[in-house]
Amino acid sequence: MRFSDYHPGINFCFFAAALAGTILFRHPVYLALSFCAAALWSMELKEAKALWFDALALLLAALFALWYASYHHFGVTPLWTNRVGNEVTLESLLYGLMLGGTIAAVLVWLNCLHTVFTADKTIYLAGRIAPKLALFLAILLRLVPRIKTQWRRTAAARRGIGCGTGGLPERCRNWVRLFSGMVTWTLDSIVVLSDAMRSRGAALKGRTAYSLYRFDHRDRTLVIAIFTLITLCMMAFLLGQTLMRFDPMLHFSPITTVSVIFYAAWTALCLLPLGVDLLGGYLFRRAQIRH
Amino acid sequence: MALFEIEHLTFAYPTAPDAPCLKDVSLALAAGEYLALCGKSGSGKTTFLRQLKTVLTPHGRKSGIIRFDGRTLENVDAREQAGRIGYVMQDPDSQIVTDKVWHELAFGLESLGCDQRTMRLRVAEMASYFGIQDWFHRDVAELSGGQKQLLNLASVMAMQPDVLILDEPTSQLDPIAAADFLNTIARLNRELGTTILLSEHRLENVLPVCDRAAVMEEGRITIADSPRNTVAALHAAGSDLFAAMPAPARAYYAAGETGGAVPLTVRDGRTWLTQKTAEKTLTDPALPERELSESSEPPALELKELWFRYEKNAPDVLRDVNLQVPKGSLFAILGGNGAGKSTLLKAVCGICPPYRGKLLLDDVPLKKWKGKDLFRGNLALLPQDPKNLFVKKTVREELAEMLEGAPKAEQSAEIERIAAQCDLTHLLDSHPYDLSGGEQQRAALGKVLLTRPKLLLLDEPTKGLDCFFKAEFANLLKQFTAQGGTAVLVSHDVEFCARYADLVGLFFDGRLTTVNTPRRFFADNSFYTTAANRMSRHIFRNAVTAEDVAELCRRNGL
Repeated sequence: MRFSDYHPGINFCFFAAALAGTILFRHPVYLALSFCAAALWSMELKEAKALWFDALALLLAALFALWYASYHHFGVTPLWTNRVGNEVTLESLLYGLMLGGTIAAVLVWLNCLHTVFTADKTIYLAGRIAPKLALFLAILLRLVPRIKTQWRRTAAARRGIGCGTGGLPERCRNWVRLFSGMVTWTLDSIVVLSDAMRSRGAALKGRTAYSLYRFDHRDRTLVIAIFTLITLCMMAFLLGQTLMRFDPMLHFSPITTVSVIFYAAWTALCLLPLGVDLLGGYLFRRAQIRH
Repeated sequence: MALFEIEHLTFAYPTAPDAPCLKDVSLALAAGEYLALCGKSGSGKTTFLRQLKTVLTPHGRKSGIIRFDGRTLENVDAREQAGRIGYVMQDPDSQIVTDKVWHELAFGLESLGCDQRTMRLRVAEMASYFGIQDWFHRDVAELSGGQKQLLNLASVMAMQPDVLILDEPTSQLDPIAAADFLNTIARLNRELGTTILLSEHRLENVLPVCDRAAVMEEGRITIADSPRNTVAALHAAGSDLFAAMPAPARAYYAAGETGGAVPLTVRDGRTWLTQKTAEKTLTDPALPERELSESSEPPALELKELWFRYEKNAPDVLRDVNLQVPKGSLFAILGGNGAGKSTLLKAVCGICPPYRGKLLLDDVPLKKWKGKDLFRGNLALLPQDPKNLFVKKTVREELAEMLEGAPKAEQSAEIERIAAQCDLTHLLDSHPYDLSGGEQQRAALGKVLLTRPKLLLLDEPTKGLDCFFKAEFANLLKQFTAQGGTAVLVSHDVEFCARYADLVGLFFDGRLTTVNTPRRFFADNSFYTTAANRMSRHIFRNAVTAEDVAELCRRNGL
């Protein structure tokens, strides 16, 4: 009943929309909403660990703003003069904060994506595009960790006969040899792999892709919800509601009924996965109490 | 009707066109039959099995006919071959294609272009039949070797093949996983009627259940008959392949029996011995014990209350290990999977430093040895997979790597010496990866011996070796200990340790439980012991090999 249990296509659409909105909308209200929603969800997904990450992202945004303002000097409200004699302006500081905040929000969203969007889902979506692409990804996902393990094994085996235990030149030489040994090993295991693949018909035409997922009624409801919200947000974007001017002076479009509706739509979109997770938890507990 | 008919098949690799690898092989495999193919490594088993599936057939000159289901194999298209002829190879790890268990199960069906409904059903069926449902969503990397090979089998079976060809599928597995795997094969044959063609060197698990056993010697099928007749024919011919037969059969013939029903299992062996000794009194039910001599010399290796764990909060892997290895002995440490045997060896050579306890090498604490000195002329570890030691293009360069810094003339003299000792002279210019498993093991041993160790540590040295290479390898070890070297080996291989070790210890739950001479050690155990001991323990007190059983029969005039 969690958002991550919904169809991978929905997960993908949601993240695409959330990231696109966060990057395209140059408006403090939208940005703040996006960041807060992402931060809340990340804390729900990863608990205390996410808090550190979110705080660090915010700090990064602040640092970026300072850096930006000390190199860009547009705007009409000087705040102070820096060491080389340039004026730091409110406009450039806020714009820098806006950019930094965008980066921070994107990072937090990606942090959530990393938890929710497992390799299985990537493989599934790739399989929808082309089964061969999915197979290629799956082989890579297996080969890379295998090479790492083999590297560790070879290094340990060589330490067991005293190779690479001396000074720096000796260690470098050991590294070069390890590397060349690994190349041979990798080529050798790819030969076996390709035999195993051809033996099971990998070269045949008309490959399909197995899917762990099924698109059900629950998914359909959520798709309708997501696309309604996306449409509203796109209207806001097309009507210029999601932009704010910083140069030469700050200009914030007035808050009207319509803009509040748009804010609400964006908030709903960003909070949707958290809402789904919380609702799922509630429904589960209720079902348990009844029995 | 025969599913596979092979007539006068001859095959030569392009590198040796005049020395064919397969010579005039004729064999018929009936539908539903279980045929075991035995032979030494290098006798052409793999080359032969690969002829039976076109995509796997190596390049070379071929004559003769292979018919599958009444048609020549060339006329069976790739799609049909992919589906109907299943093939499982040796290395469990390299033949897994994808990163997830579910994807691997579906891989063959995806290739055949099955639709979603069919795939779901077949994958669900296979996962349930093979008991994979618990690890269906897991990463392949988390599986054990036995699970990996079972996955390979299941993903081939998902394509519902008529015939299953297996090329030494258990050579990389520990004995328990191997027995499980072979039981599953027998079950497939029994319950689904899948035709099985299996090459294998753990014959004690296969001969009792297969329909026929074929013997391949130097590219020819010399015998193809019922298991009992095959064993009898091998004995009659005085073939050295007889040494690979199950211990009860070897004991039977070694005790001077001829004809009759050869016992292939421990149960039959027991019955035979019981009948043989019925109504006779045994004058001498035990072989003389070799006494453990108390030597005044300090032990080559001494461990006192050693503790180790991989991470701060992880459970201990070594817990209070105490061990004394006398100089010049071949010391075997037996134990199950994950008991910590390999970690013990790594602790001894400093790869896994213990956090508590003492480790004395030649009466000197390990910490006192400087890195380089420790591995030059003192200590060396032969890893489980010999390939892990190879980083060069030829065996000669591999060996030379250990002699860096020495003058050229001395180097080549040393290489010649060690090559002669390990029987590598004809292989010096080959690529290490082109050698067979046994040859690789010898090359790795040669490389390790060039450090002139006094203490040699060996991690599962007999894994993947057939019984001839094992005997050869044991000889090399005996030579090494005869020259004053000490060897500590950890192994699953009960038969090997019983036969060749001087002392045997059982490692369990992070510590060494008992240490004794093989004869006493195995006579005390009733499960964890050799087949010969299990079949004779109700009559003889301490027979651990087939030869022991025969010797005791002779001593008692049976």
